[in-house]
Amino acid sequence: MSEQYKILHPVKYFRDHLAHKIRPDGREFGEYRPIVVNLGSISTADGSAIAKVGRTTVVCGIKAELCQPKAEAANEGFLIPNVELPPLCSSKFRPGPPTEQAQVATQLVADILKNSDCLDLKTLCIFPDKLAWCLYADLICLDLDGALIDACVVALMAALKSVTLPAVQYDPALDNKQVNVQERKALSVTNTPIATTFAMFDDKILIDPTVDEEDLSTSLVTIVVKEEELCFVHKPGGCVFTEEQLLKCVEESTKRATVIEEIIETAFKSL
Amino acid sequence: MLVFPGDVVKDVKSVKGVTVLGPGVAPDGSTVRVTRAGRLHAKPPNTYWVEHDQKRYVPKRGDLVVGIVVKKSGDLLKIDIGGSEPASLSMLAFEGATKKQKPDLQVGDLVYGRLLNAHKEMEPELVCVDSYFKAGKLGPLSNEGFLVTVSLGLVWRLLEAENPILEAVGKAAPFEIAVGMNGRVWVNGRSVKDVLNVVRCLEVAERHDDRTVLDFCKQLK
Amino acid sequence: MSKLKSSCKLGILSRPDGSVLFSQDETTVVAGVYGPVESKANKALVEKACVEAHFRPKSGLPGVKDRLNESIIRNVCEAAIATAMYPRTSVVVVIQEMQNNGQLISCALNAACLALLDSGIDMKCMFAAVTCFIHKDESLVFTPPINEDQVKAMFMFVFDSVEKSIIASHTDGSFSVEQYKDALSLCKEECANMFDFFKKSLTIK
Repeated sequence: MSEQYKILHPVKYFRDHLAHKIRPDGREFGEYRPIVVNLGSISTADGSAIAKVGRTTVVCGIKAELCQPKAEAANEGFLIPNVELPPLCSSKFRPGPPTEQAQVATQLVADILKNSDCLDLKTLCIFPDKLAWCLYADLICLDLDGALIDACVVALMAALKSVTLPAVQYDPALDNKQVNVQERKALSVTNTPIATTFAMFDDKILIDPTVDEEDLSTSLVTIVVKEEELCFVHKPGGCVFTEEQLLKCVEESTKRATVIEEIIETAFKSL
Repeated sequence: MLVFPGDVVKDVKSVKGVTVLGPGVAPDGSTVRVTRAGRLHAKPPNTYWVEHDQKRYVPKRGDLVVGIVVKKSGDLLKIDIGGSEPASLSMLAFEGATKKQKPDLQVGDLVYGRLLNAHKEMEPELVCVDSYFKAGKLGPLSNEGFLVTVSLGLVWRLLEAENPILEAVGKAAPFEIAVGMNGRVWVNGRSVKDVLNVVRCLEVAERHDDRTVLDFCKQLK
Repeated sequence: MSKLKSSCKLGILSRPDGSVLFSQDETTVVAGVYGPVESKANKALVEKACVEAHFRPKSGLPGVKDRLNESIIRNVCEAAIATAMYPRTSVVVVIQEMQNNGQLISCALNAACLALLDSGIDMKCMFAAVTCFIHKDESLVFTPPINEDQVKAMFMFVFDSVEKSIIASHTDGSFSVEQYKDALSLCKEECANMFDFFKKSLTIK
């Protein structure tokens, strides 16, 4: 019976649940879904991780290539994220060029990386103006059930921590490079930004929404926290938030960030 | 009084619990809010609306409009009236039209019609007869004429009963005109020069007040 | 602290239903609004209007970065327009970047609001966007420093005209919660000036 009710009156179904202070999946308003992180899942990549936030699953594989640095930033390497939303992850997507949502997610992840400064791009440079590492971080969503950015950031940060790069000897006089595959070194990731998404529905704030909740909600906020500092507060529109509500979200996301950071740390130690 | 979207209309009066809200004002719970930037008008006892010089036409039931035939399919014509979707006009909705004798209309022709139905959820419906099946001034417009597009604010000005513009223009050059509420105006005259004079007067009226237009008309002779 | 200098010219384009040339400091954009117009069959929504935003950069084709701008512009406009009054139609907002001096998104959003007001489409409220920057020396300013390296963080807030609540928030760089609060209250004060400017511009017209 409840299944039919959900299809016929999705908004009322949702509102009735919230009136009883519970969400359709049985969570409380401020309760987030379990998070699973697995490191080094792809053996052919230089660094990889799978992150699950509830049912949302994102795989991140990082591939390193050698390239020439840009002229305007001669002593910096590259870190290029790319979020893919294949038709597999949701019925909303069809095969073809990246959808707007995928492009927006890619840009958001790139902004988060830049804002948090978690990886100093200068450490990717091998020889100024001649040789640097270019890290391609491909994030593929296998199952989309809300809070895409949260899962992407967890997967990306975990994968970055697992990256090991071979030692490279470069001789600028002869333009000769020697790669020593045996001698691998980990990246120096300085901090771990953690994203938390909130959905607002009828003045109620729900942490870590599922895709159904995201679709029904009137507005979404994504807050990124690193080491007690904020590095991204993104609310792309929708209905209004008061200052108090927004600041409460900031507080909640700081709490959640410490938990997730520990999860990534534990996963890293068991590698 | 100038108002802006989100403003609350104060002291809204109602007669027997009824308040008439025109364009630009909408009820929001127990208050009335403005939804467009413009001048708030109130007509006693209980009518309120906001006037804004817009370009886009939103169909309203009963409006007289000038439309262009864009598609013919069987007995039904599709007419572009400048709204968000074309209006439908039956070939039988002309005076004296029968199954056998229909008006000769081609794609690109102009018609002057009345909106019988204009609900936002539905396709607008146009007719070229009144409720007694008489055409009156409605029907196909001759291809000799000239079509110009003006702002909706100017249309309202031209259609005010005491507006002197059209009369003054008529003194300078005799003409025939069909003013559509959708901002389309069809003009015909004895010569091309007369038509162009009328069009120029309308262009002046678009940017200046009535007195300037009257001065301009005097110079036309 | 210096106030931002804004200027605008309404109705500069003949084809769109509402248009504006808007500049803030040295950032300039042109905005045009079409609507309500017939929407494509696959985009039409049964109970409300579909809002589309197109952002054109100064040169070249729109890229991934512009998609993010588009999504912000679309979401903010959707919150302000009374979409329920125009079911099965589209409202198209087109923004053309002319010059960028750091506060491009807020400039684009303010231009979108003015163009919407000019078009006369029904809106629930007005909105104003304000950008502010934190210097390396921790001071808050509205005008971007000449040297980009001097910027520690950038904040962009959009407020509505009725409750002065936050419609949108976008940030760049990292900062503390205190700084975020400071920037928020500063931008909130400034948004009142923006609304006054909108009202003045429309009155002159």
